[in-house]
Amino acid sequence: MNGMAQPDNASYYATYTTVLTVILVGVAFAAAAFGANRLLRPTRPTREKLLTYESGVDPVGEGWAQTHVRYYVFAYLYVVFAVDAIYLFPWATVFAAPGFGWVTLVEMFVFLGFIAVGLLYAWRKGVLTWT
Amino acid sequence: MTSILLAQEFKSPTIEYAKVAPLLIVFGVAIVSVIAEAFLPRRFRYPTQVVLSLGSLAAALVVTVGLAGSKLLAAEGAIAIDGFTLFLWGTILVMSIISVLLLAERAVDGGVTAFAAQAAALPGTEAEREAQARRLEQTEVFPLFLFAVGGMLLFPAANDLLTMFVALEVLSLPLYLLCGLARRRRLLSQEAAMKYFLLGAFASAFFLYGMAMLYGFAGTISFSGIAAAIGAKTGVDGLLLAGTALVAVGLLFKIGAAPFHMWTPDVYQGAPTAITAFMAACTKIAAFGALLRLFYVALGAARWDWQPMIWVVAILTLGVGSVLALTQSDIKRMLAYSSIAHAGFLLIGFVGVRDHISANTSAILFYLAAYGFATIGAFAVVTLVRDASGEATHLSRWVGLGKRSPIVASVMALFLLAFAGIPLTSGFMGKWAVFSAAWQGGAWPLVVIGVVASVVAAFFYVRVIVLMFFSEPAAEGPTVAVPSVFTSVAVAVGVAATVVLGLMPEPLLQLAARAAQLVG
Amino acid sequence: MSTVRVLFVLLGAVAVGSALLVVTTRQIVHAALWLVVTLGALAGCFLLLTAEFVAWVQVLIYVGAVVVLLLFALMLTRAPTRPDPAARTPNAWFAAVVAAAVAGVLVTTLVAGFSGAVIDLDRAEIGGARVTGGAVFSTWVLPFEVLSVLLLAALVGAIVLSRRDVPNRPRDAEAARDTEPARDADDRERSSS
Repeated sequence: MNGMAQPDNASYYATYTTVLTVILVGVAFAAAAFGANRLLRPTRPTREKLLTYESGVDPVGEGWAQTHVRYYVFAYLYVVFAVDAIYLFPWATVFAAPGFGWVTLVEMFVFLGFIAVGLLYAWRKGVLTWT
Repeated sequence: MTSILLAQEFKSPTIEYAKVAPLLIVFGVAIVSVIAEAFLPRRFRYPTQVVLSLGSLAAALVVTVGLAGSKLLAAEGAIAIDGFTLFLWGTILVMSIISVLLLAERAVDGGVTAFAAQAAALPGTEAEREAQARRLEQTEVFPLFLFAVGGMLLFPAANDLLTMFVALEVLSLPLYLLCGLARRRRLLSQEAAMKYFLLGAFASAFFLYGMAMLYGFAGTISFSGIAAAIGAKTGVDGLLLAGTALVAVGLLFKIGAAPFHMWTPDVYQGAPTAITAFMAACTKIAAFGALLRLFYVALGAARWDWQPMIWVVAILTLGVGSVLALTQSDIKRMLAYSSIAHAGFLLIGFVGVRDHISANTSAILFYLAAYGFATIGAFAVVTLVRDASGEATHLSRWVGLGKRSPIVASVMALFLLAFAGIPLTSGFMGKWAVFSAAWQGGAWPLVVIGVVASVVAAFFYVRVIVLMFFSEPAAEGPTVAVPSVFTSVAVAVGVAATVVLGLMPEPLLQLAARAAQLVG
Repeated sequence: MSTVRVLFVLLGAVAVGSALLVVTTRQIVHAALWLVVTLGALAGCFLLLTAEFVAWVQVLIYVGAVVVLLLFALMLTRAPTRPDPAARTPNAWFAAVVAAAVAGVLVTTLVAGFSGAVIDLDRAEIGGARVTGGAVFSTWVLPFEVLSVLLLAALVGAIVLSRRDVPNRPRDAEAARDTEPARDADDRERSSS
């Protein structure tokens, strides 16, 4: 976005055309590599070859293990701070604009402060230490 | 929304801190109590939390009373501070204070609160037994409770759909959690929390979709903007209709109106009884407040579109609440169906409106207050009738209670009579106010159905009274626990309010009449 | 801007197709991964409509955080990763009918409501960070701050439900063993060896 000027969406699309091109090249590269691999390699599967590789030991049981609930709290903390971070972007674009300034700064820090209380609580409850 | 497109129109927001102070106090103290929970040693937590909760709610109540007469849109139009809001804030705060008393009760269950010793310890495990033996308490219920109260204060005051949605989530999320934190019968409690959460999330999604539709219709989400768009007939009717219907689903779910009532019996039964009392009274008050504001202020001009839908919902709700309550054998489930039936009576008052909304608004305000006091009192009595496994909620256990414990049974009988709408109780005045407002609004068929439903409903309330007083008590009946001052006060306030509002309803009716002004 | 249109239609088709796969696949982890595709395609649609900020929110929050949360929630269960025969219920056709009916109503409403509406993409700046910031920090301050309270309440709730706060326990590992139901002991031993 180019600031105060009228939005010029031609340049907007031009920017993302580059992104799109990179994505397409990336996909094509991976597809070509794997495609070439598949075309060139011999395929002679045996039962042993199809086993999951587990450091040279025969795999035991299923690949599925029930995880401990503490992982979920970490994932949730990640969500909270992702949401938190996402508001920093619009905030960063406007807080220097005329008419915003201190009030906006305080608003953001109140928001961050509330969430910091949550982090404080998590820390005191020992969520952040790995036992 | 279009005004913010130009950079030079940016201006910093004004928040009328004095006017939204009750909200800020409740949220602020909720955060303080999270900090207290984090840093205080375990033995200080419970007294600190009780003091903080009671203090903040009382302070918020005082400020609310001091705001009387305010009439403005605060916080950049996000919330409306008017008589309607202030009346509901006062009611919700009073009910919350009574609910905190129930939450804090320790005497009836051997010196610990009615909440799980360790919410994270699975039911029936060694870990749970150990937590029980150590007499642990999950005092996080108090901050969560305060968060819910804050959401409930914001909900009926919200003056745009976004604020309303945020408030809906803030009030719901802590309630989902609180429902699952019972000390006894934990699986039932967790099941209740799960059901409430899943269905509640579903209802929120409906609300959100309806919100998007209404935005599509009006191009704004502020209530006055939507009202203006309806008046100017600028938008597309289909969007308005679909949006109204979807938003109504979200709100009617919270109210517990049929056919969105399915969660009510299970959740009311499974949740800790103090939380059930709080939900039955305060959630209903807050949700009705939001419903009235949204439908009267924003969608009032489209009344002819939504009235038929609410008619059907009201009739269904009355039918489901009154008839299914007859078949219940658990007192908490019966009270749950009773609360559904009451939602139906309130809906009659809500939908029976022709030109002047103020009569209907004040009738509903009065009804909500009367119903809230009686409901909290009734659930408080339920917490007292106990046996070895906790509360004895099966109706067969209540047989002959009047002979064993005449005072408790009489108090319960009073609340049941109020629910039934017997004259000289608050329930009668509430029903009278609502029915007469709806009659004047031209909804006489609904009033007739409402009266029939009252008669049916009276039957199951009276059945419980007959059980308590005119049957011989079983040999090994439940005991009636002696409560501490907390529950005693809660019950006493309920009794006093029920009797006073039944005998001298005028002051509150006048207050409600003066409060029935919605800023639009 | 016909390229934009073509891309929009393509992304829309991807979104709808992968959304169908989310609800029809028998493998629950695949459902979560198809959801990534759906949400990613939607982000692409937002991007094409010049709602740049909304698009990146979609990627960061929904694709990045919410799906991760979903996967962690799945891993908490004892659900198998194999195709689950129980995932097909007799109610499936009924659900399909309801879904189709709802979709029909919504599409009809939207088409009726917006069939003639045109967004001039050359002039639009509807979902950029700047506009969003202007709105959030001036008009919508109160809901914004309340949102942080909501996040805090949810965080406290998640910790209350998951964290065992018993002092003087010798080892948390012991506690973890207690909390797992006995019938799971066999599975755990096999998988940990």
